[in-house]
Amino acid sequence: MRRTGVAAAGLLVLLLGVTSCGGDDASSADKSTAVKGFSGDCAKKEVFCVGLVTDVGKVDDKSFNQSSWEGAAAGAKAVGGGAEYIETVDPKDYAKNIQSFVDRKVDVVVTVGFALADAAATAATANPGIHFIGVDAFQATTIANLSGLVFYEDRAGFMAGALAGLLTKTNVVAAVLGTDKVPPVVAFGKGWENGAKYTNSKVKVLTTYHPGGLDVAFNDPTWGAQTAKQALDNTADVVFGAGGNTGNGALLEVAKKAGAYCVGVDLDQWETMPGAHACLVTSAEKRIKDGVVLLISQVHNGTAKGGNFRGEVGLASYHDFDAKIPAEVKTKMDVIVRDVGSGKIPTGVN
Amino acid sequence: MRPAWVRRRPPPALGVAAALLVAAFLAYAIWGFRAAAVAGFAVRSCTPLALAAMCGILCERTGVINIGIEGQMLLGAFAGFFGAAAFGVVFGVLAAAIIGALGGAFLAVCAVSWRVDQIIAGAVINIVAMGFTTFFYRPGFVIGSLPTWQIPLLADLPLLGPIFFRAQPLAFLTFAVVIGLQVTLFRTTWGLRTTAVGEHPGAADTVGVNVARYRYGNVMLGGALAGLAGAMLSVEITGSFDRAMTAGRGFLALAIVIMGRWRPMLAWTAALLFGLLSGLVNQLNFDQVIDVPPQFVAMVPYGTTIVVLAVFSTRVRPPAAAGRPYP
Amino acid sequence: MNLDRLRPAILPVAAVVVALTIGAVIVAVDGSSPLGAATAIWVAAFSGPDAIGATLEKATPLVFAGLAVIVGVKAGLFNIGAQGQLLVGAITSAYAGYRFAGLSPLVHLPLCLLIGVVFGALPAWLAGVLRAKRGVHEVIVTIMLNTIIFNLTDWLAGGPWMEPGQVISRTPPIVGSARMGRVAGLPTGFVLAMLVTVAVWFMLEHTTFGFRLATVGANRHAAHYAGISVGAVTVAAMTLSGALAGLGGAVESLGVVGRFEPGFNAGLGFDGITIALLARVSPRAVVPAALFIGALRASSSELQAGAHVAPAIVDVVLGVALLLVAAPLLLRWLLRMPPSLSTAEVQFTRGWGS
Repeated sequence: MRRTGVAAAGLLVLLLGVTSCGGDDASSADKSTAVKGFSGDCAKKEVFCVGLVTDVGKVDDKSFNQSSWEGAAAGAKAVGGGAEYIETVDPKDYAKNIQSFVDRKVDVVVTVGFALADAAATAATANPGIHFIGVDAFQATTIANLSGLVFYEDRAGFMAGALAGLLTKTNVVAAVLGTDKVPPVVAFGKGWENGAKYTNSKVKVLTTYHPGGLDVAFNDPTWGAQTAKQALDNTADVVFGAGGNTGNGALLEVAKKAGAYCVGVDLDQWETMPGAHACLVTSAEKRIKDGVVLLISQVHNGTAKGGNFRGEVGLASYHDFDAKIPAEVKTKMDVIVRDVGSGKIPTGVN
Repeated sequence: MRPAWVRRRPPPALGVAAALLVAAFLAYAIWGFRAAAVAGFAVRSCTPLALAAMCGILCERTGVINIGIEGQMLLGAFAGFFGAAAFGVVFGVLAAAIIGALGGAFLAVCAVSWRVDQIIAGAVINIVAMGFTTFFYRPGFVIGSLPTWQIPLLADLPLLGPIFFRAQPLAFLTFAVVIGLQVTLFRTTWGLRTTAVGEHPGAADTVGVNVARYRYGNVMLGGALAGLAGAMLSVEITGSFDRAMTAGRGFLALAIVIMGRWRPMLAWTAALLFGLLSGLVNQLNFDQVIDVPPQFVAMVPYGTTIVVLAVFSTRVRPPAAAGRPYP
Repeated sequence: MNLDRLRPAILPVAAVVVALTIGAVIVAVDGSSPLGAATAIWVAAFSGPDAIGATLEKATPLVFAGLAVIVGVKAGLFNIGAQGQLLVGAITSAYAGYRFAGLSPLVHLPLCLLIGVVFGALPAWLAGVLRAKRGVHEVIVTIMLNTIIFNLTDWLAGGPWMEPGQVISRTPPIVGSARMGRVAGLPTGFVLAMLVTVAVWFMLEHTTFGFRLATVGANRHAAHYAGISVGAVTVAAMTLSGALAGLGGAVESLGVVGRFEPGFNAGLGFDGITIALLARVSPRAVVPAALFIGALRASSSELQAGAHVAPAIVDVVLGVALLLVAAPLLLRWLLRMPPSLSTAEVQFTRGWGS
């Protein structure tokens, strides 16, 4: 007994050691590009501070919290300031977490996710001296110091689906999605479906959503992987994984199959999912990072406006697949990306 | 005094399995790859559940209730992933087994030596595992993957080949553990003593079985299996670790233990049925046949368990001494 | 002053101190300042009326959940389904809170609380009946019910009871006549929690029903031969336990959240288990235990903003404290306590079978 105990304790210490000091020298998936910390006392006029509040999620989620945080850090740095974040543990604390930054007299508060929209609006009304950026927070009424950074997810999904329609050899493509209770996820999925059909009239689109509650739907990579496998067994050869870690699980599974493609979501997942390089042809991007950086610079030079700000959507670089994609596909895609982006090609999603 | 389960009759799982097999081939003949895809999903998604359920069976058969399976799996997934990141996948898998066994050891010390309430001890494992794996998680690690093995000839069988004979190591291990436990639990001295300890520790003690040693051994072995089930999620299936990635599978395993009436093969069959259900729903969504609220699908296994317990409570009888300290 | 009366508190307090020390070491190893973390907790939880209000608000549902677990345990039942019962109470009271608009607050608020209580009791009653009539273990039934309820409330809040014109899964806001506000800075919910705590304590210690409960919990066979209907007591205890959890959910909806939204009540029922253990199954100790956990939970934003410590440290500390309380021998060995301090060890539920 005693010996096993000692051995196991040693093992535990070893593992904790690995996790506590190894993070810094790890691969590109690390969040080390975004440095946390204000550059001084935020109450001072010359010190520019950005505070970011996540939804129940972490800034290392390889997905939308991460790109928002990278945007906040980069945006603050670009104007000579600093950024910090608070990760929400209990959704009842949204307002409180925002207030933490208000009390510290920051210049900009970024809230991530549409669930924080109400809390952001309340705080913006109460604190006219601070500018708020609500990622994914659609503004029905305009508040002068609150910019809603919103995206046409259906367009990004459409572009990715169009590429899938052109790439598929089996005429079957699939989407493994988080929950249908979250509108952006549904928009991505519907856009994907219509995009594939736009470029390929014979295509069959397999779509499924995680059957669990909100707590597990975005955090079940096992289900994502196994469902992606089921889609591959259904002869699909391009799979769209959209739904946090659940979608990431799908990407990792598709990477195991030679000749199959996968498409990431939210940000260029080439950077965050090295395990999926074997299949990751592109990602349906919401350029949250760019949008946040831009809005922060606007706040800094005093041109930021309230209301909705449409962030850019698009397709990420093809990376290693650039050489493998036929030139005619690329030409077609260039046109589609341009015309969907401008609204000339409707996505068919309301 | 031969207990009921020694009576010579084909185990019920065999009948169910045979029926499933016939149904599967029939479906395969009619729907081709669709049936194969559903069957593949069913088997693959039930495998980690089945391995975790084996932990439950081992523990409860020997008289210790383990509701900490979820926590042991989470620890296993964590240790497996970070062990693999540091020293390779083999080390990761070993680390998962050891840390799972360590969780089992804690449960055993509480249950056997200190006579602490077993359900409390299990709940503690869950809470501690959640806290530690969340706090110490660090992003940015990449691990190698476990190989896919195939058994020559058998792997080429239609339908069954790609599902059962072309798989990754821990899946093969699960098949072996389920079959092995089914045989050893009911046919070997160790197995009979284990069940005796779980049914009537007093009698077992009288005939010279060391109750404490059996409980320690089996609970730790079970913990190792739960840890491996966790490693299956992180190291084998996804190649990633995420906080709380077990997503309630440890609790589902508890339901499966009961649905399987504490028998390994029957439990595996129950897990397979649950897997079949979710695979079927995926397929119906794929083919746009139905549109049921997904929440209702997620409820089915748990609802069935309650109904089965309520209706067949006289036949679904747990090991008599499960949950009780001895002496 | 009688020191013997404080004796039962030694173990939990020592466990908490040791756990906080271990937490501090982890924070230090992790590269942050333990003093900073302690300051952050102080600032967030106790430094002023707002902070204290926040702590009380966090502690309120935990008091109810803790009491729910304790009532079960006294009767030898382990209600691991407090989480689910709390959710039912939360969503049904929220429904009543927005649906039955136009009533006087004197009618509306009590009605909503009552609805939360009744519906929260329902799943627990089912588990109690299955236990008493069919011998099915309440732990397994309540674990299964937790998942079922979880999915059911998700579906209700995103389907039939969803706020019209809203993209988020949540019910409409509860109208003013059913809201619980603050009285003199104190959340009314917390006042209610204190009153209910006293009532539960009185019921357990000074009534015949409490005596029956304890007798059944101590020895079912003896209780049976003493002429107590074990089945009836089992059902009553489970129902009462569920009612308390449901009330906790209702207070949460009516007093804190203002509506039902999936995910907003996560983990409260499980904290109830932690509290019941820290309180060593005594209703008198529930409030301090809930305040302790409430304070830690209230500090999550300040820990990050003020001390740069990951808030999961709270779960680590609670886990260690729980470990030490659940396995008292471990603590005694750690602190070299004399064995005479051990009075009642934690052993109150029974096997799956009987």
